[in-house]
Amino acid sequence: MMRIGLLGFGKMGRMRLKAARFLRGATVTAVADSSKRALEAARRQGVPHVYADYHDLLASPAVDAVIITVPNAMHEEAITAAALAGKHIFVEKPLARSSDECLRIADAVDRAEVAAMVGHNYRYFPPVKRLKRDLDSGALGDIVLSTLEIVDGPLAPALESRPIPDWYMDPGDRGPWLLDLGYHVIDLFLWFFGDARVLHAYLDRRYGFAHEDNASILLESGAGAKGTIHVGWFSKLIFPSFDFRVILHGTAGFASTDQYTPASLKLHAAIEGAKNALRRTTGRRIHPLSYTFYYGSYVEELQQFVNSVRSGTQPPTTIKDGWETVRIIEEIYGSAARSPALTNVVSTAAGESLRKAEGIR
Amino acid sequence: MAPIVSLARAAGPTRAGFEQGAITEAVHRALDLAGYSPQSPPQTVAIKPNLRFYWDHSTGETTDPRVVGAVIDYVRGRWNPEARISVVETDASSMRTRYAYPILGYDRLAAEKDVELVNLSEGEMLETQTRVNGRTVSLPLPHSLLNADLFVSCPKLKVGPFAGGNALHITCTLKNLYGCIGKRRKVVYHPRVNEVIVAVNKHLRPHVHVVDGIVALGSRPVRLGLIIAGTDAVAVDSVAARVMGYNPGAVKQITLAEREGVGTRRGLVITGEDVRALAREFPKRSQLMFKLTWNLQLKMLRAYAGLTGDAVPPALD
Repeated sequence: MMRIGLLGFGKMGRMRLKAARFLRGATVTAVADSSKRALEAARRQGVPHVYADYHDLLASPAVDAVIITVPNAMHEEAITAAALAGKHIFVEKPLARSSDECLRIADAVDRAEVAAMVGHNYRYFPPVKRLKRDLDSGALGDIVLSTLEIVDGPLAPALESRPIPDWYMDPGDRGPWLLDLGYHVIDLFLWFFGDARVLHAYLDRRYGFAHEDNASILLESGAGAKGTIHVGWFSKLIFPSFDFRVILHGTAGFASTDQYTPASLKLHAAIEGAKNALRRTTGRRIHPLSYTFYYGSYVEELQQFVNSVRSGTQPPTTIKDGWETVRIIEEIYGSAARSPALTNVVSTAAGESLRKAEGIR
Repeated sequence: MAPIVSLARAAGPTRAGFEQGAITEAVHRALDLAGYSPQSPPQTVAIKPNLRFYWDHSTGETTDPRVVGAVIDYVRGRWNPEARISVVETDASSMRTRYAYPILGYDRLAAEKDVELVNLSEGEMLETQTRVNGRTVSLPLPHSLLNADLFVSCPKLKVGPFAGGNALHITCTLKNLYGCIGKRRKVVYHPRVNEVIVAVNKHLRPHVHVVDGIVALGSRPVRLGLIIAGTDAVAVDSVAARVMGYNPGAVKQITLAEREGVGTRRGLVITGEDVRALAREFPKRSQLMFKLTWNLQLKMLRAYAGLTGDAVPPALD
């Protein structure tokens, strides 16, 4: 049984712990977080060992691998320390705040010869997987145009509004804004088409955040597939509404995640819940979180990590994948900064992020 | 004296929504109709909008800064051009004022109108004890609000929130003052939310209320273009309740406030727009359906998780 330590027990840490309960061949045995309340919560959820300092967790020989869900600004430090301690690593996206950080992370992981996977859970959404199958089978022909959209973020806090951590609102701690939701759809473009260059980027804001809150980006793959990307933080959505879709337009057909998403997520939840109840009563394994449609992706993704470590094979999303996504995001900020049409945007809305991007460059 | 409550509608909307000029005209007309005039020119003015999380006015959750801007113009134009005006708000369980002001456009308003943005949570608090409904309610309230020459409440016209299952019918000016409580974690007051609302209103008595119904919120946001104004909190909330399709006599915070002497509905005079016509436009939100849809679903979810061992995502915990 693989023993996993969890570094960081905030929102994503709690989600990962819930997902890890369903892993085959692995279990979470330790949690590290600087917050006493977080550690008490971890204890209440049955985690046997808790640490106020993650270095103490990493020093434990009773931990084989770690899931890193600390704030973005701590990723490089935590990954490097875990690699030095010889632990296999699963890190929540984004891999890091900049290409420079990604480079140093890749170096540390290579030298330690540990397995490392970046959490790109959108690849495991049921409709996304079906779209990828359509694409790979050739059923759509060559893709010429695609649309990838996501509008979500801290203004869409599910059941009720919840405090947003300071680091999440601070461009310095979090990194460029597109590392939040934009990262997911840019990763999907790269996963679908292999590579990307930025043709155009428009970064803007509606709200008075210290950074932009909406973006329209045009990408092109080496094979000529174009992708229009829309990302936004401006909507007050209530769960289970989820404003996310991918549309592929090919020479032989088209497909959309909307086609593969249940018309009623509530009805879907009722049906999947009934199926799981039947599975449980007949002694079979349930399909964890399948009733939520999207959250099951966290379980599936972590299982892939566990399987890779146990079999000694390469994880499905590598440090290189995370690095490439960060690189494209930097290119997007560079593109927006270079565009003469966006002078006003550069000086106001995206100014903070652009200054950061220029610093990176 | 019989309370007067006025209703005025902004012209429009255009495709881009309501324009500043139309909003200003509606606010000024509503204030004129309400007939309030301070006894002497106010030197210090506090305006309390309703900021709800980081959702802007287009969602129907938060007071439109343009409405507050129009109130500022009215105060300076009619009563005292030299008045020192502050926009005031406190931190809440999930909202930090230092983020809310810039995110929701209040930083820009403050720069345009040369007013101060105040986070009341950082100021001096007065520990108060008030008897409501035969029970004592203890609350920290901002000292500065008690000393303002003119205190204006600028709530949003909306239904909810459904605080911890202690559902409110409406959120208007009585509830807006709940946001003046100095404690950040106001959720602790939810079990006695109506008593707490009335307790705050017994201490803090706005001189005038200007309700932002430009975009109101029922079962969905609606562009009503409405401004309601008056000097009596109970009367204003009664009219707001009727606009939103509720019987004011069945709204506990209104009846309790009236019983506790916060204000009165007796002899209420309504001027301006037709309340019934507005009520037909308002998308009424069913409290029963809300309870059924959310509470029942959450109970079923917990029962399902208990039966199958499946997880509940943190978002629904």
